[in-house]
Amino acid sequence: MLRVENLFKVYKNRKKNVTETVEAVKDVSFECSPGEIFGLLGPNGAGKTTTLRCISTLIKPTSGNVYIDRYNVLNDEKAIRSRIGFLTSDMKLDGFFTPDYMMDYFGALNKMSKDDIQLRKDYLFNELQMSDFIHKKIDKLSTGMKQKTAIAISLIHDPEVIIFDEPTNGLDVITSKSVTDFLKKYAQAGKTIVISTHIMHVAEKICDRFGILVEGELKEIGSLNDILENNSSDSLEDVFFGYILPGSEGEVSHAQ
Amino acid sequence: MLSDSIIILKKELRRIFTDRRMLAMLVLLPLLMLPVMYSVMAKMGASRDSEITSFRSTICLYEGIGNETVMGPFIESISTINTELEIVQLSEVEAAKLAITEKEKELLIVMPDNFHESLVECSTFDIGVYFNSTADYSQHAYSRISQVMASLNGDIVRERILERDLSEDILTVFTLNEVPMQYDLAKEGSVIGKIISILLPFFIIIYLFVNSMKVGLDTVAGEKERGTLAVTLVNQVSRLSIVIGKMMSVMIAAIVGAASSVIGLIIGSKYFMGMFGASGAAISSYSMSTLHILQFAIVIIPLAVLVASMVLIVSTFARNTKEGQGMIMPVYFVVMIMGMATMQTGDVPPKWMLSTPIINSLLVLKEIFIQGASWSSITTACLSSIVFSVILIYLTLRMFNSEKILFRI
Repeated sequence: MLRVENLFKVYKNRKKNVTETVEAVKDVSFECSPGEIFGLLGPNGAGKTTTLRCISTLIKPTSGNVYIDRYNVLNDEKAIRSRIGFLTSDMKLDGFFTPDYMMDYFGALNKMSKDDIQLRKDYLFNELQMSDFIHKKIDKLSTGMKQKTAIAISLIHDPEVIIFDEPTNGLDVITSKSVTDFLKKYAQAGKTIVISTHIMHVAEKICDRFGILVEGELKEIGSLNDILENNSSDSLEDVFFGYILPGSEGEVSHAQ
Repeated sequence: MLSDSIIILKKELRRIFTDRRMLAMLVLLPLLMLPVMYSVMAKMGASRDSEITSFRSTICLYEGIGNETVMGPFIESISTINTELEIVQLSEVEAAKLAITEKEKELLIVMPDNFHESLVECSTFDIGVYFNSTADYSQHAYSRISQVMASLNGDIVRERILERDLSEDILTVFTLNEVPMQYDLAKEGSVIGKIISILLPFFIIIYLFVNSMKVGLDTVAGEKERGTLAVTLVNQVSRLSIVIGKMMSVMIAAIVGAASSVIGLIIGSKYFMGMFGASGAAISSYSMSTLHILQFAIVIIPLAVLVASMVLIVSTFARNTKEGQGMIMPVYFVVMIMGMATMQTGDVPPKWMLSTPIINSLLVLKEIFIQGASWSSITTACLSSIVFSVILIYLTLRMFNSEKILFRI
């Protein structure tokens, strides 16, 4: 179980003796249960990546906390990291190595035995249909192959919670489908999954619940039906654009 | 923690030593480049020397008034060198000087008027030899003429002494170290060690630093730039393990690169030392005992750790490798000046040098090459390198824990 409680993240930039404060995330709270896929929707700059970075322990929250079971990001960084698989679009893999070597490397960093690493490799390479390119240098792989490799690496230690930032961004239709199918299957196996995206049809297809993040604030949270009902709309996309584009159908709905 | 550092170290070393370009830059290039460079320099120098020596210079001679009868031995001496002699008149002297300035002729010898009288009276007279110090041929002709004139001078003095029934020995009160014997009581090998000790510690620190830069700037700043660092950070590995693993990889690469450069330097030293007047053969005969090799390793490893830590802290602070390159240059210059400062320190270096990291290690290396390093100075140098490395690693770790620096938010 993942629980985000009253999360705030404030950045301070000092330029020409003037300190500028940017509230990237403002009082964000949500939960995600095992077997559930939670979609964090929002435009670029809404605070999605910052929220996910706080959950993954890459950065510390200014206030608030994130819990996975009984552990929290402020006090139990290592325990949290052992329970999450994290992938963001700005994280890249060293192109010099092969997917097979990177799996061994990250498996070893996650304190796995060689046998366990081999078992996970066999499973993930098969599930993500990677066998054809595991011995090729990552630099030589296509975008889809690289994304599959990144997903496999983030899941090498069989984490309970999976946090993916824009997992299908830039992928072709076939690779995108294989990634979403894989995530659905993974959720059915009892894993907790949080994805961020701005591709509505992907979100609608795989997410059980949604949160709409705009300018650091969580404006909506709930299942697809809850959100559509609350906004008297028949499309998640309309609700989403209502928040980010003034004057659109969704905006009218919010005014009501 | 150490096991995580070793996993990271292995990956970094794999990155460095299986990358053909990096391997060529780190190992192959210095190994081949230095001998080739020095042999080309030596060959060019030798070819120029031979060209200058074989050049037939033009020497103008003004004989002075009333000297016709005594000019014979002078002209004879001048003719022993490879030259074309032009006798000039007083009216042509200024034109000859201009020709030397313009590098058209090499020398002008102006004999004083009536110097035969001085010869008879055994009084001193002055011969003017005009030359151009910026022209190689003129400079060489001047040096040759000085030699033959000095020899003629000696012959004339000898004649005068014999005319007076005196022995030539009157000119020599005593000699110094003329009896064949070993007068230099320096330890065996330490004389050539002294020459090596002037240059090699400087080259070692430069090679360590340059090779650390080749690898170290990419190891953090490059990873930040490519976005590959965050992938490691979200795994179950402490940031201290990452810093230690990366530092060790930079250190090993620096040592391997420096070793390759020094081997290249030793191969090239046959030519290189020859340019400085020392015998290349003597350099190649230089050897170190097992104890001195051990002392060398004890000093060089902490020194390499310190250099790697210096590069790593800059690499961690920089946004990308380009920024890192700009930031590391002032540090490189400081290290270079430190290396130069140790080249001429005398037998007892000032106290501030002995307590300054890097400099004290280089001074100990000098002592080791001359075969006289004391364990106390080795300990001091190593301790100072270790203490400063720990401080730098601590500061690097602080940077690794700073979101602002690591993610440049």
